[in-house]
Amino acid sequence: MNIIITDSSLRKFLETPAKAESLSQNLSLCGPTFDQVTKVGDDFIYNIEIITNRVDTAGAQGVARESAAILAQFGIPAKLINDPYQDKPHFKEGLSKQFHFNIEKDLVVRFTAIAFENILVKPSSRETQRLLENCGQRSLNNCIDITNELTLLYGMPSHIFDLDKLASQNLHLRESHRGEELTTLDGQKNKLDGGDIVIEDGSGRLVDLCGVMGGSLAEVDNHTKNILLIVPVYPAKRIRKTSLSLQKRTLAAQIYEKQPDPELCLPVIFKAIQLFKERTGAEVSSSLYDYYPIIRPPKTITLDFNWLNSFVGIEIKRETVISILASLGFLVTLENERLVCSVPSWRYHDINIKEDLAEEVARIYGYFRFPSILPCVNLSSEPKNLLLEAELKIKKYLSNIGFFEIYNSSLISHELIKKTSQNSDELLNLLNPLSSEFAFLRNSLLPSHLENHKRNQGKFSEPLRTYEVSNCYQKVRGKELPHEISTLAILSNENYRQAKGKIESLLDYMNVDDISFRPSQFAPPFFSQLATADIYSKDILLGQIGLLKPSLLRNIGLPSNPIAIEINLEKLCSKINEETDIQLVSNYPYMLEDITITSDKPLGELIQDLKSFDPLIREVSYIESYRNKHTFKFFFGSSSRNLDQKEVNSLKGTIQKHFSN
Amino acid sequence: MGTKFNEIVEITKEFTQDLKTSSLSDEIDSLNLKYLGRQGKVNSLFKSLPIKSDPKIGQQINHLKKFIQTKLSEKLEAALSVAGHQVIDVTVPGIPILKGSLHPLTQTIEEIESIFKGLGFVRRRYPEVETDWYYAEGLNIPKDHPARDDQETFYVGENVVLTAHTSNGQLREMEYKKNPPIKMINIGKTYRRQFDASHTPMFHQFEGLVIDKNINITHLLGVTDYFVKQYFGPDRRTRLRPHHFQFTEPSFEIDISCGLCQGTGLIGKTSCKICKSGWLELGGAGMVHPLVLRNGGFNPDECSGFAFGWGVERVLMMKSGLPDLRLIFSDDIRFLNQF
Repeated sequence: MNIIITDSSLRKFLETPAKAESLSQNLSLCGPTFDQVTKVGDDFIYNIEIITNRVDTAGAQGVARESAAILAQFGIPAKLINDPYQDKPHFKEGLSKQFHFNIEKDLVVRFTAIAFENILVKPSSRETQRLLENCGQRSLNNCIDITNELTLLYGMPSHIFDLDKLASQNLHLRESHRGEELTTLDGQKNKLDGGDIVIEDGSGRLVDLCGVMGGSLAEVDNHTKNILLIVPVYPAKRIRKTSLSLQKRTLAAQIYEKQPDPELCLPVIFKAIQLFKERTGAEVSSSLYDYYPIIRPPKTITLDFNWLNSFVGIEIKRETVISILASLGFLVTLENERLVCSVPSWRYHDINIKEDLAEEVARIYGYFRFPSILPCVNLSSEPKNLLLEAELKIKKYLSNIGFFEIYNSSLISHELIKKTSQNSDELLNLLNPLSSEFAFLRNSLLPSHLENHKRNQGKFSEPLRTYEVSNCYQKVRGKELPHEISTLAILSNENYRQAKGKIESLLDYMNVDDISFRPSQFAPPFFSQLATADIYSKDILLGQIGLLKPSLLRNIGLPSNPIAIEINLEKLCSKINEETDIQLVSNYPYMLEDITITSDKPLGELIQDLKSFDPLIREVSYIESYRNKHTFKFFFGSSSRNLDQKEVNSLKGTIQKHFSN
Repeated sequence: MGTKFNEIVEITKEFTQDLKTSSLSDEIDSLNLKYLGRQGKVNSLFKSLPIKSDPKIGQQINHLKKFIQTKLSEKLEAALSVAGHQVIDVTVPGIPILKGSLHPLTQTIEEIESIFKGLGFVRRRYPEVETDWYYAEGLNIPKDHPARDDQETFYVGENVVLTAHTSNGQLREMEYKKNPPIKMINIGKTYRRQFDASHTPMFHQFEGLVIDKNINITHLLGVTDYFVKQYFGPDRRTRLRPHHFQFTEPSFEIDISCGLCQGTGLIGKTSCKICKSGWLELGGAGMVHPLVLRNGGFNPDECSGFAFGWGVERVLMMKSGLPDLRLIFSDDIRFLNQF
């Protein structure tokens, strides 16, 4: 979260000659980051990022404490002044005004309240107005402005009610019921989920959406004479839940979510009394109400100097360690070689272990003073990661032979699943999708590619050839986690032979053994059953190549009829032959002959048969077909002698006789 | 003495005459043989010289030999060219191979991987759909922590999420290795419920983890500096700012000096548009929380470690100046064609 405070409000708690620029730069290095510094008149506005576990710095006073500790390390004199924790608040007893709170269990960490009478509501002084405006808030009147100013100064929210608008002096702080309604100060009528902390005024009316925003019923206005001020601390989780579910991310809610220090309640109320007296002419009309059910036990942590130095990596002097911790409010005592540190109340939640103390010392000392050293950590031998290597090799190969790589989201829409006739029950779906566009985890990469091609219509003059390598997610019965399968998809506006040739070259390049293409039996539903092959390496199914169903292309709105390929890379990797099988080549030249064969067999089968027909046939390459007449180039040869033309001619004759129908 | 000179003159004359009447490559080949062959005229002349002859004659014969060689080779080139085919208009356009492209994310991931490989890191890939333990609970993010609000994390089951960071790899790696040392980089897809110019629901992160005896903050600085200088350039600087993450203690936000304004925060007299007073946020890092070490089966009294998780898209954008994250996930071939 970010807070906005002014330089002048910071200096209410800090005495230093440091100028705004040096102050903001040095603090950013060691403490809260100053995102922005803006000069306004003779003041500066600081926009400061408050680290989530450091709610103690959510006000000027907390930033001042950090400043005093940090600037000292830069050799700049700096002193924390007006420290509220040094105040000894005292309150009058036995005043006339009586009110009673009925607070249900576990709904507050601490709850303090006090009443005022003889209020004169009027606009705030120019100075107060300017402070609030500089900090991005609207000045409303002298009373409400006091509570807002206190939040800026101390990082502690408070709230005021018009006491006369509360039906009885018997307030009930309780959990909301589901469906209850409460109109907040922003004029919005909120329907509550139940479980929110609310205050009921004794007549069944809700007057406060606690920790988030006040209710409009008991709003302080120009006629207000009597006020009830509360400075509570609420349990963080409840406030966060209410604030998120009603989408009211007020400053108060953001502070309460981070567990502010209950020890700060009394100093803040004490300060409030002073301001109400000064600015509104008010008198305190009640005794202090203070409900503090569980007082936290003190927390101490022991820090060993040797451990500290080895953990941070440099040697920091003991005196420096002690002075840094002391400047942050830790009470430290030296016991043997160790430092026993008592954690200040405002750091109660974020300091728990010795590493936390190491952080405090190291950051205030200054990370920028640390040398940068490469660690001497060496791993013993690690097995090769075949899959990661193969993915990159495949990507580079495909990109070099004319394919464009695309990264699509793993999340796809229900609409796309329907269009590609997949069964959405088989896909993992998000319980809380961001929109219907990103609702399911895909288990094929091809549907997204169809959309890629659709969107690229008319944008590119060459035949579009795209690919993607990504995980597909497959539900596994009886297992909590899906199988994440590295997958390659290709969608290419080429003809089948061209696309197939490329995938064959790729598989050859990857050294995948014994590839065959067989009429498909296992293709996903969007492949055309008549024009798709299963790709095998030996008996392992790697994937498919083929045409997609025309109905699907129509659903997507794609006029072209691309070749789709999808390959399971895990399986592919299992079939990569890592040892290159080097064979000696024959010293005797081949004799080449074109032979046309008439056959009705599928070409793949025919070629297999031709190749294995005679040992002198070294290679058969396909040239073309006309109906069932197929022309091949035959490579005849022997590894031990030259062939003569007569021998080849006779073999040629035998082949033609044997294979033609 | 004089006769030898005369012979040289004679051979020169004869050769000049022969050269005129020869135009085919075969004819030139035979002239080569006639004059320069082992039994050729020039060689015969050399052989006929007495042992103690005038060195000048030898020089003259050598001149003659070079002259004949030059003339013959000129004539041969001319003869072959006339025979056809050797004239090219060298300005004619080449025929290109249709090129595709390797996605900038792939290029970036490869670069990141190779930088860390140089330091001896091993690359890993861990699940993108993960159980609560590895994703949160085991990383010291208790059930009610704001970081787990379904505002930012996608759930696919009560106990199963799409990882919003790559830190699940920390516990997975500790379980896999069982003992220090660890030195790994886990690069993977991550998911968050956000969509605008700087957030897409899916993006990529790289997570570094080093665990061994006596690992300390200076080592994190060392590795960070190394990466930043390798990836962004040797003149870039880094700084650590205090931050908070549940699974590291202490935690840092790492900034690198802005390349546009050279870390000054100013371009001329106006403030730099892309950075915060000279610094750009790289991402989070920290010393591995002792509880996380323990959850991974390591003893925090015996070892320590650091971890960082940075965005692949983020470093790509910082380096390339791409203004909008959504562009990286564009499928427009005209855009991708540039890489």
